[in-house]
Amino acid sequence: MIQWIKLAYRNILRNKRRSIVTMIAIAVGFTSISIYHGYISNAYEGLRWLAICGERLGHLRINKAGWEEQGKLEPYNYMLSKEQTDKIIQLVKEEKDVVLVTPQIQVMGTVTNGLTSIIFIAQGVIPKDEEFITKFWFDVVGYVDEGYDTVIGEKLNEKKTYGVLMSKDMASYLKMKPGSDGIVMAQTLSGQMNAMDMQISGIYDTGNDFSNDKFMRFNFEFAQALLDTQSAERVVVMLKHWKDTERMHDVIAKKLKKAGIDAEIRTWQDLSIAYNKMKSYLDTIFIFLFFIVVTIVLVTIINTMSNTIVERTKEIGTLRALGMKRVGVAKLFALEGALLGIFGSMAGVVLHTIEWSLIRLFPLHYTPPGLSTPVAMRVNMVPWALMLLIVCFIIISTIAAVIPAKSAAKANIVDSLGHP
Amino acid sequence: MALIEMKNITKDYHLGETVVHALRGIDLQIDKKEFVAVWGPSGSGKTTLLNLIGAIDDPTTGDLTIAGKDVRGLTDDQKSEHRNQTIGFVFQGFNLVPVLSALENVMLPMQIRGASVAEAKKQALMRLEEVGLSDLINNRPAKMSGGQQQRVSIARALVNNPSLVIADEPTANLDSETALMVIDIMRELNERDHITFIFSTHDQRLLDKVKRLVRLEDGKIIQE
Repeated sequence: MIQWIKLAYRNILRNKRRSIVTMIAIAVGFTSISIYHGYISNAYEGLRWLAICGERLGHLRINKAGWEEQGKLEPYNYMLSKEQTDKIIQLVKEEKDVVLVTPQIQVMGTVTNGLTSIIFIAQGVIPKDEEFITKFWFDVVGYVDEGYDTVIGEKLNEKKTYGVLMSKDMASYLKMKPGSDGIVMAQTLSGQMNAMDMQISGIYDTGNDFSNDKFMRFNFEFAQALLDTQSAERVVVMLKHWKDTERMHDVIAKKLKKAGIDAEIRTWQDLSIAYNKMKSYLDTIFIFLFFIVVTIVLVTIINTMSNTIVERTKEIGTLRALGMKRVGVAKLFALEGALLGIFGSMAGVVLHTIEWSLIRLFPLHYTPPGLSTPVAMRVNMVPWALMLLIVCFIIISTIAAVIPAKSAAKANIVDSLGHP
Repeated sequence: MALIEMKNITKDYHLGETVVHALRGIDLQIDKKEFVAVWGPSGSGKTTLLNLIGAIDDPTTGDLTIAGKDVRGLTDDQKSEHRNQTIGFVFQGFNLVPVLSALENVMLPMQIRGASVAEAKKQALMRLEEVGLSDLINNRPAKMSGGQQQRVSIARALVNNPSLVIADEPTANLDSETALMVIDIMRELNERDHITFIFSTHDQRLLDKVKRLVRLEDGKIIQE
């Protein structure tokens, strides 16, 4: 086998210029795909953390069974009682892969500055757990894009239960700023209207254009008081690693069932519409781009190999006369194609690394659709994807070489020998 | 049993609507150890005849048996194996692989057969020594003269120990002195190793060296 590889290698060097052009085409194609894959890999990572930490979905969300279908119509029947909430928190905290278990409650109502009222959607959260989630996000990801989760003013404080956070477009609309007083109104779980005084502690950016004019964050106790309940709507679970989400979903579901708690658990991926839609969108573009690039590379290699084969028709005839079978001729050119694929991919890895380094050093900023703040364009270095791409390009190059070689091997030997 | 038996062989080529009758009913029998020259003017059918004997082309009609095998009944892969194991080829234009050294070119038929590198190298070195090229084993064809290239070609034809070597105008691209030297080498191998040689030529100076002469004209044997 080695002698055939040696022969294939020397044949590649026969027409250096043509081989280099082919390898450049492979390298550029490789880099186009790998850089785009690195970009979407980073985008998925960003979107994932935006869902888990930014949207406060956590890795897992535990509600009372039936919440998804009936909870919004009959919230009083689908809240977790204090006892149930405490029991869930105690059981889930026992798991070593869990880093945080926190109760939350959602409130919808109207907020007024005394002159103007608008609708709000607020999350009732425990302030110290909020701090933990923000810190966790930064600690795991290593960065959080500027603007996200930064609060102008004060953060939520357990000692100042009436202090709330307001999303920036809402604050702008109501002309409210940290220290401004207002009133929030909502329907209690029993159906009565309730109103409470509040003060803006801080203003924050949700990161999303669609929620920046309607979201608020309350102290958990303040939200409970507004809804006149001691219950929680849900328990949010943060895990050490997102890859454990599915496994921990099953573990916790079994554990709660065993403890007699009738609950439904959803993962962040089930809950984040933005992540799923964006992933589907980017995946589609990736497949589209992949096929365009692969087609270009395939045509380039077929063209190169076709020219090579025409030039070496007499040699093919000689090899056939010496006893090489048709499949042997195809294998020989397949090896040449594979070598072109290997060298082209290696050059692609080098080019990818250069581009990756340049993007890291000089990041571009852009505002993705739906987001309110510019983000830095980052490209992940994904070794397994690069390996897979190398294998993929070697296979593509091999196939591209075999296609013209097979027809050349079928040609009449006498005709091949008589080729000028 | 004869090494080659041809009975009423014809070969037609179709050039558009025109049919060219390259061979018109050839009956020929060549035994082992023979040293045969196929002689005749250009277009007489010499190359076509050798192509059929070499199993790189098929006759239109007739029976062809080489080393006891009915060549017409073989599949393409079987013909390839048959050529590799039974027949050695020497081409007019040498047809060496330009990216391989003399040694590697000679090793090629053995490697096609699947022999180990060590075995192929040993045999190739021996054959190169026989044709007097031990000093040039690492040279590529571009760095060798026509005569040297043809001797490499002969070594390559012999490396698999074939029972038959076919040479199509092996001296056409060589000067007189080198041509005679190449024929002498072939003759010596024929006498020493009893390898059957069949070569085509239209060079009358070489005809004195052959044991048997087959003269072709217009696709027919006109003299033996």
